[in-house]
Amino acid sequence: MFHKPILPNPSGLERVTVMQGQALASADATLEFSTVLGSCVATCLFDPDARVGGMNHFLLAEPPAGYGTAVDEHYGLYLMELLVNEMLAKGARKSKLKAHLYGGANVNRNMMKIGSVNAEFARKFLANEGIALMREDLGGTQARRVDFRPASGQVRLRTVEDRLAPPVQPTARPAKSLGDVELF
Amino acid sequence: MTTTTRILTVDDSPSMRALLNHALTAQGFDVSQAEDGMAALDWLALNEVDVVITDINMPRLDGFGLIERLREGSRHRDRPILVLTTESSEEKKARARAAGATGWIVKPFDPAKLVAAVRRVSH
Repeated sequence: MFHKPILPNPSGLERVTVMQGQALASADATLEFSTVLGSCVATCLFDPDARVGGMNHFLLAEPPAGYGTAVDEHYGLYLMELLVNEMLAKGARKSKLKAHLYGGANVNRNMMKIGSVNAEFARKFLANEGIALMREDLGGTQARRVDFRPASGQVRLRTVEDRLAPPVQPTARPAKSLGDVELF
Repeated sequence: MTTTTRILTVDDSPSMRALLNHALTAQGFDVSQAEDGMAALDWLALNEVDVVITDINMPRLDGFGLIERLREGSRHRDRPILVLTTESSEEKKARARAAGATGWIVKPFDPAKLVAAVRRVSH
């Protein structure tokens, strides 16, 4: 079910673009999630019983000064958790989740292999959480476009021109007040 | 003389527990882990702790339920409980506060801010 190709004419579907930093889930059969990936990774999750699907789109951030590791996993982990929580809120069960991973290309050969780092983070997350990885199309040097129908789990994957993909520079940690503490 | 602050982290995500464990043990805290509210109650029935850090969305018993259950008895009535969550709604925050949470921290967490909050509520 998760592997059926999408027919080329998605008439009547509402296409929702999943931007970097977003995680969306739905059981709506008239929706199609769509995203273009360079070094970023998109996780597609699907619960075949609840017929709920979701997609996120992330790029690991550079760590704050003195953090000591090559990349900051907090943001990727946050977007993974956000996706899982969105799925559960729509009626999916964590034990039923199946995953696809796409993206993680090393588009700019002069940069650190941020695409590979993103891909490895995503694989490790799924393994740690016990979520089955059914299909992956990661790495390489070409940008990808992913269309995903959340209610059926159908995926269409195409390679696209690199210029269509979002910038490949690792972003700084998001500016919004992340990690803010409020004591009652 | 200082004693090690003991923390129980409650989160259904093994990845998040590992990240928390790394961030907190690196600062010298003694960290234990529970995978949901029920596991936390079981652990707390047998062990002492100085601070509880809990997620909200968890199977079996969520963070709200955990806080309510801990506040019902006398043993953990004054225990600092920090909520660490992806939830950003004011309504959920108000609910946590009403249930008896000590503080509210939005993920993705900043290790320095988290550690500062733990030190503040544990003294």
